[in-house]
Amino acid sequence: MGAIGELGNRAARWLEGRSRGEIALACLVSILIVGYVDYVTGIWFSLSVIYAMPIAVAAWYVNRPYAYLLSAMSAAEWVLSDLAHGLPSGSNWIELWNGTLRLLFYAFLVLLLGRLHDLHRNLSRRVEERTAALTREIAERERLERKLSEAADDERRSIGQDIHDSLCQHLTGTALASQVLAGRLEARGLAEAADSQKIVDLVEEAIAMARGMAKGLQPVEPHPDGLMLALEEFAATTSELFRIACTLECDSPVLVEWPGVATHLYRIAQEAVGNAVRHGRATAVIIALETAKNGIRLSVGDNGTGMRDPMPDARGLGLKIMAERAKVIGARLSFGRSEAGGTELVCEVNRGDIPAYFDHE
Amino acid sequence: MNEPIKVFLVDDHPLVREGLTNLINQQPRFRVCGEAENVPDALRGIETSDPDVAIVDISLKGSSGLELIKQLKALRPRLAIIALSMHDEKFYAERAIRAGARGYVMKRESTKKIVAAIDEVLKGRLCISEQVAAGLAEKFIGGRTGNDWPVELLSDRELEVFNLLGQGFETRQVAETLNVSMKTVQAYCARIKQKLKLSTASELLREAIRWHEQEPQR
Repeated sequence: MGAIGELGNRAARWLEGRSRGEIALACLVSILIVGYVDYVTGIWFSLSVIYAMPIAVAAWYVNRPYAYLLSAMSAAEWVLSDLAHGLPSGSNWIELWNGTLRLLFYAFLVLLLGRLHDLHRNLSRRVEERTAALTREIAERERLERKLSEAADDERRSIGQDIHDSLCQHLTGTALASQVLAGRLEARGLAEAADSQKIVDLVEEAIAMARGMAKGLQPVEPHPDGLMLALEEFAATTSELFRIACTLECDSPVLVEWPGVATHLYRIAQEAVGNAVRHGRATAVIIALETAKNGIRLSVGDNGTGMRDPMPDARGLGLKIMAERAKVIGARLSFGRSEAGGTELVCEVNRGDIPAYFDHE
Repeated sequence: MNEPIKVFLVDDHPLVREGLTNLINQQPRFRVCGEAENVPDALRGIETSDPDVAIVDISLKGSSGLELIKQLKALRPRLAIIALSMHDEKFYAERAIRAGARGYVMKRESTKKIVAAIDEVLKGRLCISEQVAAGLAEKFIGGRTGNDWPVELLSDRELEVFNLLGQGFETRQVAETLNVSMKTVQAYCARIKQKLKLSTASELLREAIRWHEQEPQR
């Protein structure tokens, strides 16, 4: 049964590749050949089902009127072939009755197949429409997600910029004014001078905190060498903060002319290093940034415990976010084992794959 | 009594200018003789008020304080310039010093350091943190100060790479231009860094650009 089904599928595939005219011609020729065979084989050898095949094909692949025509032809051929052998039933009326019955059977087959074909076509069309609608919806949702993430990034950048350019400057002015006040109080020999000096110290601490926040919000300066500088600084800060050896390997300058792409790459590196330290308990992390054949290659390798399977949820989420960032910039992200036995993340982005909207930033 | 030392302020934030003015004027030996918030105003103001010291914020709205420092250095070689910035000295101090500033003060430390910085630069000394000074000294010992470059240490091919980087070529473009693989370019870059005692690729890029800018004068 399976073999017959497979044969049917192949025949259907073959037929779908042909034009209507070709099929119509093939059906006509088949009917003529079957008629001839019918005549040659004589009256006792029934070919009624064989006649039905080209009719069925015509009903499905050509159109109904043509199939009716073939039905009529088949019935006529059969009757003529019988007549040529001299009325076996002995009566014209019986011959006519049998011929009409057969014609009606073929017509019924055509009608049934035609209806089935219409249903099939409608269903296919609805599936296509639904698929198209879904595709549109997914594209729209992806666009919205991207817009949302871009808006969030823009917002972050803008807040970072504001903190750096306005708040920090304002605090600097405040610190200077307090320093002036402290000087005046001191000149008058007042003990409050010390309090004023304390205010200066506090404001300066506030400046340091605000700068830290601004840096966190806008880690990559919008210059082509911004990513290199940001990663250098990040490696240095990470080494200091976590008392590990985090280094940036970057032999030749890597310039990234899309600030948005640079920021995503930075965040990917940041997440990977965070994972290495928090989950992998790594003591040495190497961030490598290099120019690849058609773009940029970023990798983060560590000497930690490597990835566990299954992963804890928090880490899993981090990986998903990294993957999402990579997708947004058109990059490929892969994980493997580092030379030091820990995890190695590789993120490669081809110039050609970077979505056009990053050009307009 | 001696005339007070005249100080000119260039900063685009009014509150910072006000604070600095009050702080500097608190010292009887100094007097703020003018202030500006952009490059054209600064050039005009400095022309008319003839200060001894200029304090310049390196990131001004719409223009670069570093460019202003370069211009001032050319126009008034005797003017002592102190670069003031919200940015970390790690990344800008060296550039400011190379542009012609004699000191670099981070804004968050300005309350304690600005007065001392003015005194220092007036004595003809550099006012930079020990870290930055150490970095500069390292390069000096490496044989490179000002316009003096140990580029003769570089092989012809390395020099070619260095030159192309200075013209703003990327690794990929350098590789295409010289018809070699990117790995080869990366290897050249590693050797250049070693020979010029540069620790990072961004430093290499900066040096290459600087060398390229100065090359026509050679």
